[in-house]
Amino acid sequence: MNEELDSQLSAMFDNELPAAECELLARRLSRDPDVQARWGRYAVIGAVIRAERGVTLNGTVAGRVSAALSGEPALSEVDAARPAGRTPQFRWWQPVAGAGLAAGVAAVSIFWLRSQALPDGAHAPALVAASTATPAPTVRAAQSALQNAAATAPDSFVVPPVQQRPMMVVPATELADYVVAHSAYSWPVSRGNLLSALMVSEPGTSSTPARSDQPASGVQGNAIQNPK
Amino acid sequence: MSADASDLSLVRRVQRGDKGAFDALVLKYQHKLVKLVMRYVRNPAEAEDIAQEAFIKAYRALPQFRGDSAFYTWLYRIAINTAKNAVVSRDRSPIEYNIDRNSTDNDESYDMQGRMRDSETPEGLVLTDEIRSTVNAAIDALPEDLRTAIVLRELEGLSYEEIAEAMACPVGTVRSRIFRAREAIDRRLREVFEGGLGRAEELG
Repeated sequence: MNEELDSQLSAMFDNELPAAECELLARRLSRDPDVQARWGRYAVIGAVIRAERGVTLNGTVAGRVSAALSGEPALSEVDAARPAGRTPQFRWWQPVAGAGLAAGVAAVSIFWLRSQALPDGAHAPALVAASTATPAPTVRAAQSALQNAAATAPDSFVVPPVQQRPMMVVPATELADYVVAHSAYSWPVSRGNLLSALMVSEPGTSSTPARSDQPASGVQGNAIQNPK
Repeated sequence: MSADASDLSLVRRVQRGDKGAFDALVLKYQHKLVKLVMRYVRNPAEAEDIAQEAFIKAYRALPQFRGDSAFYTWLYRIAINTAKNAVVSRDRSPIEYNIDRNSTDNDESYDMQGRMRDSETPEGLVLTDEIRSTVNAAIDALPEDLRTAIVLRELEGLSYEEIAEAMACPVGTVRSRIFRAREAIDRRLREVFEGGLGRAEELG
């Protein structure tokens, strides 16, 4: 061993070596008998300084422990074998926690659905208040457009129709494509019902942009050709 | 830096299946543990048996050791419990005297287990005495600053930082002084160990 390594070993014995340096030295300590013998003598020096009377210093305990453990498996092997033999423990709090979590999710869902169900006008006061506080140019433009629309539209208490959501159109169209492409393999009755349902749920299909036009007309044509 | 970093690195190695790392931990703490157990039992041989049992229990329990406390603190608790249990079970069971021996009236001359440990052999005891006298002589021969540093560390249990404060020097100097003190003592001690072992073989 060189002097630097010996110095590290001495510091490690005193628990004064940085953890990063300990890793490498611990590996060497566990494998090198000379390093281990030096380590053992450091312990003997400490025992003599502390005047540990009645303690034998020729390391009999270490030898006996090592011999006693020689027949035992290494701990990593014990850990590897343990899960197979372990019996599952019943924890009373698990079903309670599960029920609580489910109730929480349900409550959040209900609140979310209720907020979604409110008409768009319900949020208008808050929006107007916010926009008057900081009238940015884009907000002002939007406000004037709204005012123009309100001036041209007749006064009415009829609830305005809910706007179409683009995200609802695309899946329905793609589903229609899929049904048309596989129509040869489906029952005529179910195909007709499904296509009728699609056309009903997609009111703007015929007047939507070019991409959705072609499949939609194909759907209509196909529906007419197979009126079952 | 963790105060227990070196012990913890050895413990982690044991947990990964390296038994050699556990040997290092036993070498480091065997004397302390025997001394601790001797608060409960007077017989050194019995104390060694209990210390051995405590180490084996510790090895088997190491998978549950998470490092929340220092390794020695954890080992200390195991040893105390093992010693208490040993005292209770010894008090319950009748003492088996070896009646074949002539000098049963002397407390130190009989072996309760009917066998003699290595540490009790004349060679073992002589070796222990020789080790003590060699280490003490080597410490006396050390320069003052090295002797103070090693004694503050081993006898008073001060950290390097505390020793540096006490000796008004940098921590690096403390580390170097303790290392040089150990090296000087170890040179003399190595000769005794090698000579002692050789003598034991001759006698055996």
